[in-house]
Amino acid sequence: MVDIVPLSSYPSYIDLLPSIQTCNITNLPENYFLKYYLYHALTWPQLSFVAVVRPKAGYTKHTDEEGRGSATLAEQYPKVVGYVLAKMEEEPTDGMAHGHITSLSVMRTHRRLGIAERLMRMSQRAMAESHRAHYVSLHVRVSNTAALRLYRDTLGFQVESVESKYYADGEDAYAMRMDLKDMWMNWEEIERKDRLRAEKDEKDADEGDDVGDLGKKDAEEKEKEKMVKVKVGRGLGVGDLVEKNESQVQA
Amino acid sequence: MSNLGQQEEAFALAKEALKNDMKSHICWHVYGLLYRAEKNYEEAIKAYRFALRIEPDSQPIQRDLALLQMQMRDYQGYIQSRSSMLQARPAFRQNWTALAIAHHLAGDLEEAEKVLTTYEETLKNPPPMSDMEHSEAVLYKNVIMAEAGKLEKALEHLEAVGHRVTDVLAVMEMKADYLLRLDRKAEAEAAYTALLDRNPENSMYYEALIRAKDIPENDHKTLKAVYDSWVEKSPRGDAPRRIPLDFLEGEDFKQAADAYLQRMLKKGVPSLFANIKALYTNTWKRDTVQALVEGYVSAPQSNGEANGDNTEFLSSSHYFLAQHYNYHLSRDLSKAMEHVDKAISLSPKAVEYQLTKARVWKHYGNLEKAAEEMEKARLLDEKDRYINSKAAKYQLRNNENDKALENMSKFTRNETVGGAMGDLHEMQCVWYLTEDGEAYLRQKKLGLALKRFHGVYNIFDTWQEDQFDFHSFSLRKGMIRAYVDMVRWEDRLRQHPFYTRTALSAVKAYLLLHDDPDLVHGPLPGGANGDDADSAERKKALKKAKKEQQRLEKLEAEKRDARKAASATAKGADGEAKKEDPDPLGNKLVQTEDPLKEATKFLTPLLESSPQNIEAQNLGFEVHLRRGKHALALKCLSAAHAIDPSNPALHIQLLRFRKALDNLSEPLAPQVAEVVDSEFESLLPKGQNLEEWNNNYLSTHKDSVPHTQAGLTCRQLLNAESKPQCEKELAATLDSQILALETAVAGLNLLSEWGSDQTAKTAYAEKAKSKWPESSVFQLN
Repeated sequence: MVDIVPLSSYPSYIDLLPSIQTCNITNLPENYFLKYYLYHALTWPQLSFVAVVRPKAGYTKHTDEEGRGSATLAEQYPKVVGYVLAKMEEEPTDGMAHGHITSLSVMRTHRRLGIAERLMRMSQRAMAESHRAHYVSLHVRVSNTAALRLYRDTLGFQVESVESKYYADGEDAYAMRMDLKDMWMNWEEIERKDRLRAEKDEKDADEGDDVGDLGKKDAEEKEKEKMVKVKVGRGLGVGDLVEKNESQVQA
Repeated sequence: MSNLGQQEEAFALAKEALKNDMKSHICWHVYGLLYRAEKNYEEAIKAYRFALRIEPDSQPIQRDLALLQMQMRDYQGYIQSRSSMLQARPAFRQNWTALAIAHHLAGDLEEAEKVLTTYEETLKNPPPMSDMEHSEAVLYKNVIMAEAGKLEKALEHLEAVGHRVTDVLAVMEMKADYLLRLDRKAEAEAAYTALLDRNPENSMYYEALIRAKDIPENDHKTLKAVYDSWVEKSPRGDAPRRIPLDFLEGEDFKQAADAYLQRMLKKGVPSLFANIKALYTNTWKRDTVQALVEGYVSAPQSNGEANGDNTEFLSSSHYFLAQHYNYHLSRDLSKAMEHVDKAISLSPKAVEYQLTKARVWKHYGNLEKAAEEMEKARLLDEKDRYINSKAAKYQLRNNENDKALENMSKFTRNETVGGAMGDLHEMQCVWYLTEDGEAYLRQKKLGLALKRFHGVYNIFDTWQEDQFDFHSFSLRKGMIRAYVDMVRWEDRLRQHPFYTRTALSAVKAYLLLHDDPDLVHGPLPGGANGDDADSAERKKALKKAKKEQQRLEKLEAEKRDARKAASATAKGADGEAKKEDPDPLGNKLVQTEDPLKEATKFLTPLLESSPQNIEAQNLGFEVHLRRGKHALALKCLSAAHAIDPSNPALHIQLLRFRKALDNLSEPLAPQVAEVVDSEFESLLPKGQNLEEWNNNYLSTHKDSVPHTQAGLTCRQLLNAESKPQCEKELAATLDSQILALETAVAGLNLLSEWGSDQTAKTAYAEKAKSKWPESSVFQLN
């Protein structure tokens, strides 16, 4: 069974890096020093994900010593059968923040399980949420029909251009991209609500003051209404907030 | 000068400069930088400290010192440096964060949290959502609270500020984890449900969800319903379909397994068997799966798609059965071969099928055939590196180093200095270097074997060095949690199985070299290594080996020249000009004066990082005993005993240690003797009748061949005259029903260790060969 986990956020599994590097050099001709993987993991910890084989007896460790917390695979070095290594473009030529897939691969023996798709979706979502990426870009060999099918048909990427002789062996690459803006969080709304809450707190602190003015009272009522809304939002917790956000976008 | 690679000149100049001006902080700083470039961090720290004493306010010196203190894990020093840097520039957030990290890693969680809070209080308005550094600092502080065990507080903090953190998944994970630990079940359930909605392919989430829901382990119906609900939500997912097979029993299992298998076989998912085999520890489930899939192939029309193209389902099923019968818990190799051939005949182009055929040959013990068949698989898809890697690996298992490299070179950048092998080193291809080295070790080509093992050793050094730049980089980027995880990972770097495996092999190579110094010239033809020291035959063989060594050196030099001619200025991937390796064959390594001392270079980190690895303890004993370090050897025995008191290698070593103590050429130092005697007494008491002790071991473990092999080894050690009888009994172990091929091969090697004659070896080898008629591993050299 294969589990898909974040590389270096929470929990953080940096100790998987040597096995990720092995997965890469076993499958692909484009290889990197371990330091380059570290660079990704430590610069954009939210964006990379790993597919590991669950050990036969399951994971033996937990996030706490008493075993009450969630299971963790740290220090158990499970077999890595896939990964997506992703980053944000550091100096985007078009001035738009966007993500880039540095490398994606799944062991031949673990294909057709939807692992690559899942890895991509996790990374894309994180690019949108954490970094407000306008889009995600990647390169794919023109001969790689399976990958092309995944990116274009399953995930919805579009071919942007053909980059001649992109690969070391002379093969051309499709430069592909996909828009991510519909997964953005509504930062303005969060900031606005926080502002209102702060103002409310300040007011609460001044509560002893006389309120003689009717108009002012009205304003206060309005504030209160808004405050109630805020509370609902906050009470739902982060996970729910995000789900809600998404459904708003869909609607 | 230093940058030009002229270290010595640079040092001489720096010393000269210091002579002229002992009070120049610049001179001391440069001196420190030179040491740092040489990776002599302790001296560098000293030099920086001198410079700082002269110029206490210099930020560059302070910063360089701090970086090295971090690298050397001098946390108290780092706290000091960071405190004064913060005092000098309190406006920079990263100075606060850095001090918090210093306290955190030093173990003072309270102080770390306080530092972060102090900074937060200086912020008048909450930073905008786009401030990633702030978002991350908030999570970092939260992690510190949780690490300090203040879960309630951490959760409260997360509820208050988590909605502003942009690493949404991290917040969800942390919250879920805290809730579960706090036993707030209803909320934990909601939190894990939300996580599963994001990613239904994570068994740890399901496990946590079920704990939060308080579903009893044996309430299979309720459990199954939980997983079913996710199958509905995520119809293409695997986890919620697969996990119930772990707990379901009886008819429920059969039904679920049937549905699961058929679905996957129709899709032609190649990893189906890998997904299923974990169930086989339950023999009933194993047999049920076998019966189901056998049913599919014998009555294929019954699967309800009689009209459609059934070939894929059928070939997938044969492929599954091939892997099933190839697996050690359900092995029947002739059936495996039958099914894989059927699968191949249905889909001759399927790489996986051909790959499995090679694996069947491997289990037959015929590495030559295995490599051949894997090469056929490679030719089915020459553009795929995975199958290329496999083909190379199988060639290495068959000791075909050159062929393997030839295959690998189809995907390496061969213009790199050192050619394909140079690229594999540069790209840190640990698996290949390890396999290549082990193949050389089997051939007793110790120079090349050591060359590869040192290659891996150096890669681990590089990985350790890699962290250095991040001590400053990560502070700038502000991604602190990942940085802290990296620091901790670096501290246990050599715990990685990649290191363990290479270190074990390297130690074996050095032991071999120590026991048979002639191997410095390479393997002697005709297996003459270790035979009578002065025979004419040995001399002849030695001469031949030396000649072979010279031939190889010449060959390597020619290759190097050819490469040089091809590209006058070969550069590494990092753009730096690289020098050719002056010792590509490892001759310098193998010519070491003191192989055992070299072995400790690999052994010490191995024992430190993986004390629970019994083979490491076994080999540690071998090295220490040969070095005359009895106390250390005993330490390894005790450690091994704590892991597995009946370990076969340990059993032999206990006896050998007893004999070594009885036959010391000079007595141990009194304090050592006292400690050794008293501790060894608990492992193998002095008054113990050894024959009786060994017979006990033999009878207790009579059903296990490895244990029997160890017992017999001890018996012939105790009584040389029992050797013929031991040889007979060793051959008799081949009749065991549960004997693994590898164990049988180990038995043959044992006869060489015992110094048995050719007749005994031949008898054993022939008997083994009749049990594994397809094998090629029972050859006598």
